[in-house]
Amino acid sequence: MMQVIPVPGTLDDKTLDTLAAALGEWPPKEGLLFDARATHWASPYGLTALLTLGQAIVEEKLPRPRFTIPDSDEVKSYWARAGFFQAAAECFELVGRVPKKSSDAPSDVLLPVTPIRATEDVHHVVERIQERAQRILTSELHLEPKSTGRFSMSLSEVCQNIVEHAGTGGWVAVQTYNWRKRLGRKVAVIATSDSGIGFRRSLEASEARKVGERWGDASALELAVLQSVSRFRDLGRGQGFHQIRRYLGRWQGKLSVRSGTARLSIVPPWDEDESLAENLPFFPGSQVQIIIPAQEGNAP
Amino acid sequence: MMQRIELAPLLRETMTTPYSHMVTRATGAALRDRIEQTIDGASHRTTQLDFTAIGLLDFSCADEVVAKLLIRVADDEEHYVFLSGVTERHLDAIDGVLERQNLSVAALAEGEDAPRLLGVVTPDAATAFGAVQRLGAGDAKRLAEALGWTVERTADALQSLALRRLIQAAGGTYRPLSLP
Repeated sequence: MMQVIPVPGTLDDKTLDTLAAALGEWPPKEGLLFDARATHWASPYGLTALLTLGQAIVEEKLPRPRFTIPDSDEVKSYWARAGFFQAAAECFELVGRVPKKSSDAPSDVLLPVTPIRATEDVHHVVERIQERAQRILTSELHLEPKSTGRFSMSLSEVCQNIVEHAGTGGWVAVQTYNWRKRLGRKVAVIATSDSGIGFRRSLEASEARKVGERWGDASALELAVLQSVSRFRDLGRGQGFHQIRRYLGRWQGKLSVRSGTARLSIVPPWDEDESLAENLPFFPGSQVQIIIPAQEGNAP
Repeated sequence: MMQRIELAPLLRETMTTPYSHMVTRATGAALRDRIEQTIDGASHRTTQLDFTAIGLLDFSCADEVVAKLLIRVADDEEHYVFLSGVTERHLDAIDGVLERQNLSVAALAEGEDAPRLLGVVTPDAATAFGAVQRLGAGDAKRLAEALGWTVERTADALQSLALRRLIQAAGGTYRPLSLP
């Protein structure tokens, strides 16, 4: 038997919950087929989360899931140039004709889907994005030039979280797009996703007893993201999210972190998301998204 | 005597790749190991960490290279560390990690003549530090007259700077670290 899971037409941080709900029990009891034929758009968050799903299923030693690629030639071409199919071939059996990966990524893709498995991968990502990010962040998002460094530092820290805490590999992608409907402005988005142990398990040994009955995915996220708590006793640890939050405050940016059954967001005035969503359908690993909107008027 | 450690070539040697950015905790820990070996192999009392030609510096790497090194040399008798070649690309990370660990360091930024303090600094300590740099070696009384402060207030600020190894103190005299 094979369970068919429809991939939402638009796959982003919101609709991932729909995909997670369709999965049902985790780990799945039977083979899975992800049907993306009708999918017409996916954010970097959506693409990296899809890869995490495939990776998590493979890591559970379950049959390699099948993935039916989008019908739309435009979508297929875009996903190919964003590096999705090349990465997906590692963990899915792809169904449908996959376009050849062109060497030129779309102009709005600052970083195609890239695996993060070791420290060297983080170096590679930072080296690769610095020059390209400088031009786009200053000319298109109107951030002050020194913001490019802060953007890359944030990228480095979220990628390192995968290497240091997940216990397995993950993926990162960075893109800009025009968020006309939701915000009326252009945004830059960093998305990472891994199929690792998640925040709750990472902090369980040191924090669960202190938190008591409320211990779970949500409280683990609060500790890590809002209180800079790390599983390491070293005082210098846990600064990544703290500094990212500081930058996002200056840029009116948004941070959202999903792990297991909870999602915690630092919500800027332009967004109406809830700051903590609990009891969501389970999704493996951890997903992080940073959204930086184009600045109106002078950069902060 | 001062020992100058250029971080850009050390980064390339340590990582065996032509990276110009100091990112990741693992990279920072490997760099700090090399720095500590260099310090241990010499008898200098002052170590200058030169950031010239370093691109980006992230928090994790700054924590390993700067904050942990300051904590490590605090155990040594009279060992001083200061930074040079620091640019806007490095300041956020260094300031952030030092504040978190209640540390401070003197740094000569690229294109500046006088060092500045990074990390945890009280307004009095910052003013006294600037005055010591301008006036050179002297005692609390001399600095108090220059600043228009009481001797006690001045002595407190100088003592705080000396305890943090931001200036040198000997026999009631305070002097700036010897900068290049």
